[in-house]
Amino acid sequence: MAANAPIVLTDGTRELTSPTPAAAHRRRRSARATGPGGTVLRYVFSALIFLAALFPLAWMAISGFKARNEVVSSPFQFFPDVWQPQNYVEIASDPQFLRAVGVSFGGALLFAALSLTVNSMAAYAFARLEFAFKRTIWVAVLMTMFIPGMAILLTSYIVVTRMGMLNTLAVLVVPGAAAAVHIFFIRQFYLGIPTSIEEAALIDGADRWRIFTAIFLPMSKPVFVVVGITSFLAFWNAYVWPIMTITEPDSALTQIQQYLATFRSERRIEYGLLLAGSTLAATPVIVLFLIFQRYIISGIRISGIK
Amino acid sequence: MLAPALVLLGIFVLWPLVYAWYVSFFNWSFYTESTFVGLRNFRLVLADPVFWASIGRGLRFSVIVVPGIMILAFAFANLVKTMGSRMATWLKVSIYIPTVISGVIASIVFVLIYEYRQGLLNWLISLVGFENQPWLGSASTALLALTAPAIWLGLGLASLIMLAGLLDIPESYFESAELDGAKWWQRTVFITIPLMRNIGLYLLVTSFVATIQQYELPLIMTQGGPTQSTLLPNLHIFLRFTNDVTVGYSIAAALLLFVVLGGLSAVIFRVINSEKAVDG
Repeated sequence: MAANAPIVLTDGTRELTSPTPAAAHRRRRSARATGPGGTVLRYVFSALIFLAALFPLAWMAISGFKARNEVVSSPFQFFPDVWQPQNYVEIASDPQFLRAVGVSFGGALLFAALSLTVNSMAAYAFARLEFAFKRTIWVAVLMTMFIPGMAILLTSYIVVTRMGMLNTLAVLVVPGAAAAVHIFFIRQFYLGIPTSIEEAALIDGADRWRIFTAIFLPMSKPVFVVVGITSFLAFWNAYVWPIMTITEPDSALTQIQQYLATFRSERRIEYGLLLAGSTLAATPVIVLFLIFQRYIISGIRISGIK
Repeated sequence: MLAPALVLLGIFVLWPLVYAWYVSFFNWSFYTESTFVGLRNFRLVLADPVFWASIGRGLRFSVIVVPGIMILAFAFANLVKTMGSRMATWLKVSIYIPTVISGVIASIVFVLIYEYRQGLLNWLISLVGFENQPWLGSASTALLALTAPAIWLGLGLASLIMLAGLLDIPESYFESAELDGAKWWQRTVFITIPLMRNIGLYLLVTSFVATIQQYELPLIMTQGGPTQSTLLPNLHIFLRFTNDVTVGYSIAAALLLFVVLGGLSAVIFRVINSEKAVDG
């Protein structure tokens, strides 16, 4: 539970995937018109998709360049009269904004690292080791995927309060690190690695830990990219868990989403600044996604659901 | 190697769940001794018209959002399939970008789109001669207005899953149907839809479970208002929890939803995927 509980349950449960070379193969298949309507119609629909998906973000970024009173000028206007970077400069030199970005960025990296460590080790254990009650434990772990966030959000809050974790970095990073979806996803990948590779190493006397670090980890890049980015995004975008657990006003642990939400409710009318800040807050995750989109998109395949 | 994950899942997932069941039978608060109250919390929830109204609202919200996502994702998958690979990549990347945007930022943007005097939407409808509408300020339109950002955020993942399912259907089925003279809609009705039944069912259930639990958007955009018209079930529970001294009601309500939704998704997941998930 925790920082990413709602995200695990929305994105997570739908992301039971195993990357296969087949997906990449399929992408190369030549295009063939099988739908209704002609080429023109298909391009019109494509243009509509681009517009619907990207327009709100483009409008947000462009409005950040408007003058203070222009965002809410009547009538509505898409482009600014004069393009001016003031809002971006001003928000990017606000120390609280910078601190919030820093906390989100550092926290997200830490969270992704912890998530990868904990979940890949568990995935390896479930994929390769034999131990008592393995199947029972595995089913129990899988079951945690079906717990709706709200059922444990409230008592998780009570638990971390009792543990004295409120207003610490740990409360943001630790509770959500272990996630059944990620264990499942990495395990699927490890099951696909032929056992012959490690048998030689076993005969040479390497122990299981050594096989994990020397053979499995170097091969894990495709799944690690997907799990790492999913975790990074979950932390970067988290809002509800942080507002519950970081309760001191103007805390040094305030993250970017909290900053934006507070900004919005306290300085309502400064839309230009707000949109500039939102644009800057959305940029890292979009860039991250664009860099690794190949892995992420081919990662979205639901193994076994046929 | 298993220990760290199991310890974390134990402390932060299983223990809170067990604890929630325990607390739900008590008159528990942070400040006082708790007393055993039996099923009173559950009775309070089930007798509360606000709770039932929020469930009804959640269902109305889902009845728009889930079919919206399903139909758009299906249309998207069919479109992408016919496009060249470069264009297909662009389309896939674009439709997925909103998925990485936070609920806070989506809320900020959509609140301004719905703004009464200068918002984009009112400008658009004024072009075709309609009066400005207080989209988020009126109890009759606020819930409807929330469906757009919900679909916008949720469509990307559903579309890519739908596309993966569509591409899994062997091309030879379509080719032989085409040779027999089947039209596009015939191929869709008799080949595509039956063969994608499992994917469709899966998306239907996961989207529904995610949608009816939505509370971040109304929390930020409307705080549940006006006059509770956007008070979705989880938002009701969350606001009760943050405003009440005793937490029994909220936890009992959350557990009731958990039984229904967790049960629903576990059953469906079993039906579609059972042995493969467990045995790999």
